[in-house]
Amino acid sequence: MKMQRYRATILTSILACAVLWAAPATAADYYDGKTIRVLVSSSPGGGTDATARLVSRFLPKFIPGNPKTIVQNMPGGGGTVVNNYYTRRAKPDGLTLLQDSSSALSTYVRGGKRVKFNPRTYSYVGSIMRGGSILMVRKDARKRLTDPKAKPVVVGDSDGIRTWVAMTVWGAKYLGWNNRWIFGYAGTGEMVLALRQGEIEMWGTGNAKLIRDLEKDGVVDPLVLLTDKRRKDFPDIPTFQEMLGDKRPSGVAWQAYKVWAGPSDVDKFLHAPKGTPENVMNILHSAWAKMVKDPDFAKQATKFFGEAWRTRDGAATAKLVLEVTNASREVKDFLFNIRKEHGLPTGKKKK
Amino acid sequence: MLEAAFDGLLGILTWHSLGMMALGVLIGSLVGFLPGIGGPTTLAIMLPFVMTMQDPYPVIALLVGMDAVGNTASAFPSILISIPGSSGSQATILDGYPLAKQGQAARALSASFAASLLGGFVGAFVLVASLPVLRPLVLTFGSPEFFVLTLWGLTMVAVLSGNAPVKGIIAGIIGVLVATIGMDVKSGIPRFDFDYDYLWDGISLIIVALGLFGIPEIIDLASRKTSIAEHEELGSGFLQGIKDVFRHWWLMVRSSAIGAWVGFLPGLGSSVADWFAYAHAVQTERNTGGFGKGDIRGVIAPEASNNAKEGGGYIPTLAFGIPGSTSTALILTAFVAVGIKPGPDMLTSQLDLTFAVIWTLVIGNVIAVVMCSALAKPMARACFMPFHSIVPLVAVFVFIGAFAANFSVNDLRALLVFSLLGFMMRRHGWPRPPLLLGVVLGTKMETYLWLSYTRYGLEWLLRPAVIILLALVAASLCYPMLKARRERRLAAAEASGEPT
Repeated sequence: MKMQRYRATILTSILACAVLWAAPATAADYYDGKTIRVLVSSSPGGGTDATARLVSRFLPKFIPGNPKTIVQNMPGGGGTVVNNYYTRRAKPDGLTLLQDSSSALSTYVRGGKRVKFNPRTYSYVGSIMRGGSILMVRKDARKRLTDPKAKPVVVGDSDGIRTWVAMTVWGAKYLGWNNRWIFGYAGTGEMVLALRQGEIEMWGTGNAKLIRDLEKDGVVDPLVLLTDKRRKDFPDIPTFQEMLGDKRPSGVAWQAYKVWAGPSDVDKFLHAPKGTPENVMNILHSAWAKMVKDPDFAKQATKFFGEAWRTRDGAATAKLVLEVTNASREVKDFLFNIRKEHGLPTGKKKK
Repeated sequence: MLEAAFDGLLGILTWHSLGMMALGVLIGSLVGFLPGIGGPTTLAIMLPFVMTMQDPYPVIALLVGMDAVGNTASAFPSILISIPGSSGSQATILDGYPLAKQGQAARALSASFAASLLGGFVGAFVLVASLPVLRPLVLTFGSPEFFVLTLWGLTMVAVLSGNAPVKGIIAGIIGVLVATIGMDVKSGIPRFDFDYDYLWDGISLIIVALGLFGIPEIIDLASRKTSIAEHEELGSGFLQGIKDVFRHWWLMVRSSAIGAWVGFLPGLGSSVADWFAYAHAVQTERNTGGFGKGDIRGVIAPEASNNAKEGGGYIPTLAFGIPGSTSTALILTAFVAVGIKPGPDMLTSQLDLTFAVIWTLVIGNVIAVVMCSALAKPMARACFMPFHSIVPLVAVFVFIGAFAANFSVNDLRALLVFSLLGFMMRRHGWPRPPLLLGVVLGTKMETYLWLSYTRYGLEWLLRPAVIILLALVAASLCYPMLKARRERRLAAAEASGEPT
């Protein structure tokens, strides 16, 4: 009898344990004692890495259980390396997140057989946008920009697919800008130097400090802004839409511009793999919402990104990603042709 | 100016700043000591914490201190086990390691530390001296000049390291070809990737260095069943090393100047200064027969230059806000966050902060050298342990170094490939340094050539600085032939008994 009672007790205990084990994770205990791995699509240094370091420091404070975070850089191929790895290997358990940047969206849209990821399927936590890129032109080259008989104004870039380059291409096609492009620069430092030397004459960045310095030293005039809303810190700089005015193309030509330039509006975004359970995403969304309201976070973000930064929640980020990656066959063909026409890299081998 | 220099010193000499500097120097030395863990990664980790600080002085003390000394402690693994602790100490291996094998590890280490210290001083001095003439200087170097400069660096090392110029040039070309592996940013097309994602990023420099220099030495020593040092004498080598540096003070000054200059040119990269200085030593010194076999001058030149480089590297960073390397780029981010405004203000209203950087370079180097010197004797003793007891440790060290950067098994596979290559090259008398330098410079050479051509057509060849640098390339190529001819003539003259 005693034996039976023991057995019953043990059995009940085991059942109770099993029930507890199977119960869905509650917010309080899911992340308790765990570590979140935050992958980064760039090398240390630069905006994406800085965002990852900032978010991985603040987000866990607002996740119940205060998990640890480790940041792992996996640069390469315009975000292809890390996104392919993440798609193939990361489990949808909320313990691996990816701090990604707009170049991964551009790479996805450009396509090719190397691209084995789909940003349209990810579970988005949120995004940080630093203020759109401003296109600048050297003072001594400004007149030549609208003079078709003069020497073309030299646009310089690292890979020729940055979002702000779209303005120079559409400017050439629809505003009659007299441009030519050179690309291959290793980084921002090299391009700023080249701009100061006159090796390049037109360049874009969102970094307010760089723009102000170059302007103050009399090197450049800021010309036009990539995003659709004017920047608070540069209220006099018109947007590219405003500059196009009635010369703005419609149909495929405009959709193609949006697809090229649009990712810059998403800028730096954090996501979990496809199929991450809703309860885990809820925890992350709620932590994100609390994090962006934290005054300490705001202070740090301003130090990192300047005054113009703002954030988007997961749902708004997902919506925007769907919008700017919505490239039909015609749009892709248009992009391919316009890049080829202007001597920019197309991502395909010459036949 | 004197007042600003004094203010800067006072700002650095507070307990808070000095404590931060000691911490920075400790972390920097540790990172330098361990191969594979780079300065940039550590700086990136520190960044969010530093940015919460309000006072700029402790931030300068911590970050500049950390960055300034990375190349001091990295001489330990370079000299003792032929593994570069950081990319700035690669050339140190060529003569440092043979010295360790001859039982003169303590001498090599002390010479390296003394050269590092004095090189750091020269770098700081160059920074002060160049303050008035910075801007015009930086603006004279465009892509064409950078291309020819990289070409010059590669030909010098190819021709001068080892006694086989033709093999050296071929090895350099192979290095440049290895550097073409991976995604070509200009076209968005991966090259030589054989459908492996791993190869998109190209081959990491640290893997090539560990493979070419680390494993071949381990195999060699393990097969000889001896200790690293062939003679068991530690002797009075430590003082000797310091004396050596003073005896060759002029070489030290020249190498430091080269280091400061390389650091000052943005985009040339941290791993070039030591090679330039080494090549310069071989080219200009007398009695160069012992280079590569344990000549103390082969330690002094690279170690002086790699510390001087840091001082030079701050010139464009502070004067323009154009960082010369990833490390200075990260430091710049932190500076901006704590209210330091790089740019012309650094020479006027913020001159005290510029001097704080300079003082940190000086004091940080002193702390690092004292610390490393205290450790030199016990570390040098490791060379007398029988090698079979160290082989597993060193092998683990090498593999961790290769693995730590990305936690990728593929890095270990690549390490094996380059180890085999390094072993074969060593065995058949092919110089390994040009191959490594080819990998370092290959991507830059290609980029600068491409930019020069797309920007200027063939006109870039007519720029005056390009013509001068091309003449130097030609001189480097002809040098071994001229040297051989002169030696033949001398030998003939001696044989015939004629006075020369």
